[in-house]
Amino acid sequence: MNCAELQARLHPYVDGELPVAETTAADAHAAACPSCAARVGHEREFRRLLRRQPREAAPPELRARIVADVRRARRRARAAPWLVAPAVAAAAAALVVVLLLPVLRRPAPLVAELVNKHIAYAQVERAAEITSGDPAALEEWFRQRAGLRVVVPDYSPSGIRLLGARLAEAHEQRAAYLLYEKGHTLLSVFMVPGVATELEPGARVTYRGHEYAQLEVKGYHAVAWSDGRATFGLVSMLSYDALLECAARLRAEREQRASL
Amino acid sequence: MQVSRGGALILWRGTAQAGDGFEQVALPHLDAIYRVALRLTRNRAEAEDVVQEACLRAFRGFHRFNPGTNVRAWLFTIARNVFLNRLRREGREVTADGATLESERESTTGEASAGGSPEEEFFQTVLHGDVDRALNTLPLAFREVIVLVDLEELSYKEAAEVVGCPVGTVMSRLSRGRRLLRVSLAHFAREHGYLRERA
Repeated sequence: MNCAELQARLHPYVDGELPVAETTAADAHAAACPSCAARVGHEREFRRLLRRQPREAAPPELRARIVADVRRARRRARAAPWLVAPAVAAAAAALVVVLLLPVLRRPAPLVAELVNKHIAYAQVERAAEITSGDPAALEEWFRQRAGLRVVVPDYSPSGIRLLGARLAEAHEQRAAYLLYEKGHTLLSVFMVPGVATELEPGARVTYRGHEYAQLEVKGYHAVAWSDGRATFGLVSMLSYDALLECAARLRAEREQRASL
Repeated sequence: MQVSRGGALILWRGTAQAGDGFEQVALPHLDAIYRVALRLTRNRAEAEDVVQEACLRAFRGFHRFNPGTNVRAWLFTIARNVFLNRLRREGREVTADGATLESERESTTGEASAGGSPEEEFFQTVLHGDVDRALNTLPLAFREVIVLVDLEELSYKEAAEVVGCPVGTVMSRLSRGRRLLRVSLAHFAREHGYLRERA
């Protein structure tokens, strides 16, 4: 290696970036050439000067912010992986449904209470305080007994037989309770004076122009609504369709009577 | 020759799982990322922003990090990209290529580093602040390779990956950048009176 060749490789040489053979050749030349040895020496000294520069540390607050960032990002990644990896969004959609179901199923206090009463009354041999299949007789009983103006719908055309009624308590107030039966399946109809402030946050269905809360509690179907004066709840093992039809008829009958 | 420069730069990581091990692998290099960001931005507040954003990006992209490669080079690359993106966003000039700069500077600086020139004598008297000043006046294309190779001790190959250019370009920017740096430092030394003007 001559002076020009070393000069051309000066920087990679002092940086230790030359192949071994070239490095050996450059070493040999520098050992024999004082001028080149001086250049190499100066270049190395300059590099040492740069490396002597104080090495600043990152501010502790910055480090703390980053550690917090990373922890937050990790928590999010674990809680909602699709936020980090969009590819699994489809799987996530399925997960959302699964996560939401318990929310939809979580009963509102009133509906849960009605379902519990339905279950309790279903196990009692004589659930009805008054046994009668005559709607007018039961309406009279409620009026005399508790001063309640109750519309007792007749579902017999649908094969749903009226068994009787009793006074119940719901939301710490007197409520009318009607018992029906289709085959051996019990249908409970509750009427609670006043409008439930928090009827049900779950699924809403519209049936014949009216909106109902429709939900499942403990395996029972429930349909509930408020009409501005009272709140109603139907609980049964019957299908939602059957419950909605019963609800619509009750609603229609109340409207008809109110207009008389 | 070019085995592990600067000690245990290369870290191996086993399995890649949603950012697991990020703190252990990446955060020990936070000071280095900060230093590089500081040299790029030349502004502390901006450097902190760059580092914070870069670390979050690095965490999210940790699964893309190739175990067995230089962690610092990978982190520097992310920090540099964050910095350049900010420049572009703010409509500031980006001269990442540096080709035009190099040709411009070549004509104005001349061959100041010829052996035995007066500049060689002032190294012992250079003040830390002078190196800072001199570095900060260097155009980005030269500044970044000097920061990566001379200050943070990356190999040419690693620096080339960070900057996204061939190794040969790193080499030429490095030699020209060092030359510019020495001219500036000699100028400061003259200002301080350490270096007498010679005819």
